[in-house]
Amino acid sequence: MNDSEAILEVIYRSIDEVNEQQPPDKRVGKSLDTVLLGEGSPLESLGVVNLIVALEQNLELRLGVSASLTDDERLYRSDSPLGTVRSLAGHLADVLASRPGA
Amino acid sequence: MNHRNSSALLVSDFNVEGLRALFANDAGEPAVEAICAPFGEVYPTLLGNDPRGGTFDFSVVWTRPEGVSETFLQAVEGQPFVASDILAEVDRFTAALTRFAGRFHHLFVPTWVIPPHRQGFGLFDMQNHAGASNLAMRMNLRLCDNLQDNPGIFVLNTAKWIENAGGFAVNPKSWFLGRIAFGPEVFKDAVRDVKGLLNAASGQSRKLILLDLDDTLWGGTVGEDGWQNLKLGGHDPQGEAFLDFQRQLKILARRGVLLGIVSKNEEPVALEAIRRHPEMVLRLEDFAGWRINWADKAENIAALLAELKLTPAAAVFLDNDPAERDRVRRALPEVLVPDWPADTMRYSQELWRLRCFPFAAVSAEDRSRRELYAIKHQGDALRTECQSVDEWLASLQLVLAVEEAGPASLPRVVQLLNKTNQMNLSTRRLNADELNAWLAGGGRKLWAIRVRDRFGDHGLVGLFSLEVRGTTAQLTDFVLSCRVLGRRVEECMVWLAAEQGRLLGATRLQAQYVATPRNKPCLDFWQGLAGFVCDVETTTFWRELTEPLAEVPHVTIERRPA
Repeated sequence: MNDSEAILEVIYRSIDEVNEQQPPDKRVGKSLDTVLLGEGSPLESLGVVNLIVALEQNLELRLGVSASLTDDERLYRSDSPLGTVRSLAGHLADVLASRPGA
Repeated sequence: MNHRNSSALLVSDFNVEGLRALFANDAGEPAVEAICAPFGEVYPTLLGNDPRGGTFDFSVVWTRPEGVSETFLQAVEGQPFVASDILAEVDRFTAALTRFAGRFHHLFVPTWVIPPHRQGFGLFDMQNHAGASNLAMRMNLRLCDNLQDNPGIFVLNTAKWIENAGGFAVNPKSWFLGRIAFGPEVFKDAVRDVKGLLNAASGQSRKLILLDLDDTLWGGTVGEDGWQNLKLGGHDPQGEAFLDFQRQLKILARRGVLLGIVSKNEEPVALEAIRRHPEMVLRLEDFAGWRINWADKAENIAALLAELKLTPAAAVFLDNDPAERDRVRRALPEVLVPDWPADTMRYSQELWRLRCFPFAAVSAEDRSRRELYAIKHQGDALRTECQSVDEWLASLQLVLAVEEAGPASLPRVVQLLNKTNQMNLSTRRLNADELNAWLAGGGRKLWAIRVRDRFGDHGLVGLFSLEVRGTTAQLTDFVLSCRVLGRRVEECMVWLAAEQGRLLGATRLQAQYVATPRNKPCLDFWQGLAGFVCDVETTTFWRELTEPLAEVPHVTIERRPA
């Protein structure tokens, strides 16, 4: 499994965990174009918190990467890395690439 | 299983929206629709009126220790404090809880914990009357002491949920981003425990564990290996695991859960192993019944359930063979057939993870149920020796004691009312306050029935209530434990109801059957009762009381003061 696949697995696993706390009509889809933040996202503020926490935990658990997504100043801006699954995957690829020795 | 939905009010000093969502999404029964009280307003919610103006079946009040005790906060912050003030604050909190509990059937109170990332004081954490963990333990013990006499309040063990959840049970980021004190795995465990208790309290829990023998209760195949060579105890790790599994089953049996055997074996061979193996923890008297033969296990289970007068929904089937599990799941879908680990050393752990047994309020009657079933087994053996059922009943020396329900019998009466499904005329579910309120309504009385025979005392196993309106005595409740069904106790109860109705001035006795998915035995009984007319449309049975009913043979009636 390459990094891209591993990252997508982390994201989708995290979405599964978040969906356990979402109402049936507000479940988050699992595709690259799924909107995670802002207009068109089924997630309210608590859901976004749950997603961030799940992502960080799964990065640590599955990829051994300790990352703080909340350190990114763009998090709640229009160009947030959390905008879609695609942008999130790109951001996490950057996080992995910036690891010492990567 | 048949459940109504439950509604819940969640009260907390942290964000429990996740708990609310998990209650809503959890597939286990009962379905729970919960709402959260205003965030952080614990005391105003406990002491004030319902902020949402609604009524709820149960509430969960989940707080952090510093949310209840300012003195505790001073202690963990290293400020001067008086330890006794902490307990006084717990007393104030439990007084508010006790008052609050009156609005619900059940109130669940998770214990206080110090999050792992706040336990950084090493040995000081447990310093007597000073360390944070030591103080939290004292608070929890005081909580338990203060609430122990409130039958509707259940203290739940948060620390266990945290242990089960593992490394991400508590995440500081969740707290700082959303004031969420615990991770979803902790909330999920809480949901499972609360639902398990709700099921237990409503009589929906499992009452019987049906066990395979070979490689389930012991290691090896007794028919092949001989009982002397079974893996059980000794110095073999697997043998130790089977021994431990039997010990855990014995603990459940002591708490009122029945055990049964369904095994494909030669019965004499298997029974010899149970009798003679020196390390068997479970002996024949621990089992309410067994089917040890080569017939289909599902058919054997059905037959054993019929013998024990239990429904499939009361049973759990444990078998190491996945094919047998599949067969039983398909044939008897209401029997709980959990996946069972291939690793025998996980058997005990899996047993306790089932959380489907009736531990909400274990009464003396529950504790002795196992013995009574064992006694009943002797009774059944006697039945096969007797030429007729009448002779068997006559030999039982059955005594029925009747008393008007009073404070001493009320807890067991309420338990019986809420647990009994099969011989239950109307299946009313009431807590003690609701029942007392109903009895205070005028023209209403309730009698408790105790039964004993020459094999033992079955305890308080039945009840009936009458509401007299004009000249009609309406039989509102007619409840009898399945433990004594088929011994003419139910006929005696009708006779007593008629007698009491006449004493109260009624000239007609009337009973309306309210159908549920599980009380057909009650309908069958009333339909077979001589002398009653049935209005088929309303399933109402009635008869005039101008003539006394014929006394029921083979049963002696004792009248006791309330």
